[in-house]
Amino acid sequence: MSENLIPALDSTPIPGPAWLFHVLLVFTFFLHALFMNLALGGTLLAAFGQLAAGGKGSDHRVTLARRLMGVNTYAISMAITTGVAPLLFVQILFQQYFYTATILIAWVWLFFLVMLMVGYYAAYLYKYRGAPTRGDGGTGWLVVSAVMFLLIAMVHVAVNLIHSQPDKWSLFADNPWSVLADPVYFPRLLHFVLAAVGFAGLVGAWWAVRQAKQGKDVQLNTDIARFAWKWVLWTTVIQVVDGFVLLLVLPQPVLLGLMRGGAATMIPLTLSILLGVGLLMMMARVSNPVEKAGLVNGTLGAMALTIAVMSITRHQVRGLYLEPVASRFEAATAPQWGNFVLFALLLVAGLATVGYMVRRVVNSPATGDEAA
Amino acid sequence: MDYPIWDIAIGGSVLMGLVAVTHVIVSHFAIGGGLVIAVTETLAVKRGDHEMRELARRSSFVLILVSTVFGAISGVGIWVVAGLISPSTIAALIRNYVWGWAIEWVFFIVEIVAALVYFATWDKISKRVHVMVGWIYFVSAYLSLVVINGIITFMLTPGEWLKTHAFWDGFFNPTYWPALVLRTGIVMMMATAFMGLAAWRGQESSRPRLSRYLGWWMLAGVFVSYAGYRWWEVALPDGIRALFLGDSPGLAALADTRSFVLWSLTAALVLTVVFLLVVPRMAKLVPLVLVMLAAFAFFGSYERLREGVRKPFLIHDYMFSNGVRVDEISKLNEQGILSKARWAARDPADDPVAMGRQVFRAQCASCHTLDGYQGIRKLLPDDPDMTFGVLYGLFEQGEEYTGAEPGTAVDKSELFYPYMPPFVGTEEEMMSLAEYLSSLVATEPEVARAGEGQ
Repeated sequence: MSENLIPALDSTPIPGPAWLFHVLLVFTFFLHALFMNLALGGTLLAAFGQLAAGGKGSDHRVTLARRLMGVNTYAISMAITTGVAPLLFVQILFQQYFYTATILIAWVWLFFLVMLMVGYYAAYLYKYRGAPTRGDGGTGWLVVSAVMFLLIAMVHVAVNLIHSQPDKWSLFADNPWSVLADPVYFPRLLHFVLAAVGFAGLVGAWWAVRQAKQGKDVQLNTDIARFAWKWVLWTTVIQVVDGFVLLLVLPQPVLLGLMRGGAATMIPLTLSILLGVGLLMMMARVSNPVEKAGLVNGTLGAMALTIAVMSITRHQVRGLYLEPVASRFEAATAPQWGNFVLFALLLVAGLATVGYMVRRVVNSPATGDEAA
Repeated sequence: MDYPIWDIAIGGSVLMGLVAVTHVIVSHFAIGGGLVIAVTETLAVKRGDHEMRELARRSSFVLILVSTVFGAISGVGIWVVAGLISPSTIAALIRNYVWGWAIEWVFFIVEIVAALVYFATWDKISKRVHVMVGWIYFVSAYLSLVVINGIITFMLTPGEWLKTHAFWDGFFNPTYWPALVLRTGIVMMMATAFMGLAAWRGQESSRPRLSRYLGWWMLAGVFVSYAGYRWWEVALPDGIRALFLGDSPGLAALADTRSFVLWSLTAALVLTVVFLLVVPRMAKLVPLVLVMLAAFAFFGSYERLREGVRKPFLIHDYMFSNGVRVDEISKLNEQGILSKARWAARDPADDPVAMGRQVFRAQCASCHTLDGYQGIRKLLPDDPDMTFGVLYGLFEQGEEYTGAEPGTAVDKSELFYPYMPPFVGTEEEMMSLAEYLSSLVATEPEVARAGEGQ
């Protein structure tokens, strides 16, 4: 029986109540998802735009690619930085499942680091040796970066499905590739990729609308906003369909668990479905985003909220997958409240420092000899 | 050992060594680079020194490319590799120090944002604010070292934690402060090693002056490192220090590593004095690479020594390198190691050799491969009785650990096999392991590999 393969919990008690780590895991995953969406979706959208325009620097789609990748070297860094925290907390809560899953696909899991490095450096090469610096070109680097990030998404979906299904570990141990045949695998992958492209497109459109409203290159920014908006709209249309497919292909106990979980599961699930449909309605009302700047801002806010709510549902789905075995693993707790308070205070201080720094930087523009 | 075992021919410890050494070199540069760049830009602004400013600027580009990409990813890589080769240990560490890591993450966020802002705002914001961002970067980067140093040193010298299991007892352990001083020196050395190349890439006329400036940083780094290293040696428990120091060190290989540590530091000192301080005109690519290699050699060999003296533990006096805890030796001797090794014992063992193979995978495979790194086949004696004798010796070694007062360290230099965890398990398991190991001696590698696949 595969269930007998679940490793014993470490005897060390966890240094805080489990609920606290669940909250921290979901919250930090949400932060990570924002930057990850920008990194993955932005690179994919930039690659599509650049390929569609044949790499010509004068095309508005290449301008969008330039902008997205200009930001993406920072977004990738922030995706990695914010990804550290959920990686930490998942090891506290799901150590016996998570480590086992990664070992079962050890080479692939290890290789994700190499892909991340290649994808990141390729993004830098595009930025400094392609269109953003030279006006055009660099399509190859962009495609390499996009492919790497897509592969990384595939690895993460695989680890997630393996670690949440210990009853199939024998199967995965004998043939790790069989995870690709899991009916949930591709709908789930598509769900994440579509969300990423939609979010990045929305950021690109929002940015272009702001520029146009400030009177900068109005025609160019209008074209960019329209192009990006089409991607946002269509990825969301497919997303809504894929979201329902994903629900239906979930193992029956998981789906039933979601439906019968009461307010705890139904509120986030219903809210995310309503937000998805609401997003579609908001998007459909816009043909020229520059003319409806307020709606664009609202859509961006609604999408960020959708990602937050979906982060909760994603976490609950994992819990439902693991429900049959989880009761055997009640971890002892020995809270270190002092250390938690120290962490919380430092987090506030750290974010305040970042805020102060950014504010000073924004308020201190300088040129010529006055500049650093 | 409850986890699946990842068979990797080069050995998990070698993989970890590769990832960890490259990461620590880059991450220490990221910290030291923050200090030297912040000071350099501060001086440049104060003196209106264009060449110093350009040195800071070029170095910040290297910092971004090397530390925020390679450094950040390889840092995650250490967790990834640890989870693959020693999941039990990383689980225990995280359970004890999750808040430490969470605090380090806060500093990491500030550090990365500051690094990105610093690099992106050259020529765009006022000098004063840009310098401020540089200092925020350095302070947050250094604070991340202050935190992670507690966890790293805990693994070697957990100190009072063994009795109290209290966070701060383990954090401020006997080698915390010496290691912090040592690493403070190392960050200055790593910064100078990388920034020497940035100085060399500048205008030819400015090279000697900038090289000499960096030479003083390297010199300070060497002396602070030396002081920290000597203090670290003194702070080690006697039983650990005796492994590589004294008239007859317990392990000659570690004594050699210690000599290498000191000689490479000496080489870094001499090269710095000659090429950077006395004749800075000679600070061209080859001499600069030599300085860099000497600094890397010192740092790398210190890390190797630190890891070496910790063996056979991953958390000293608490958990062995194969995931067995000291406090469970007696229980596992009664119930058998396979009672804990779910994955190694996944399939029924029909005969003693098959059971021995399971015991090997559960207890030995975290360090030994069959024919690759630390290949067990070439280490085995031809005589099966001798193999059993070694195993029995290792079994008895377990009593040294179980007989010790809880929370007190065993003097490893007194052990017959100071590098090896004790054999843990029932007599039947020991006999089976002996049979399996003997079968390896009589088996061609190809045959054994074919058997592995079954």
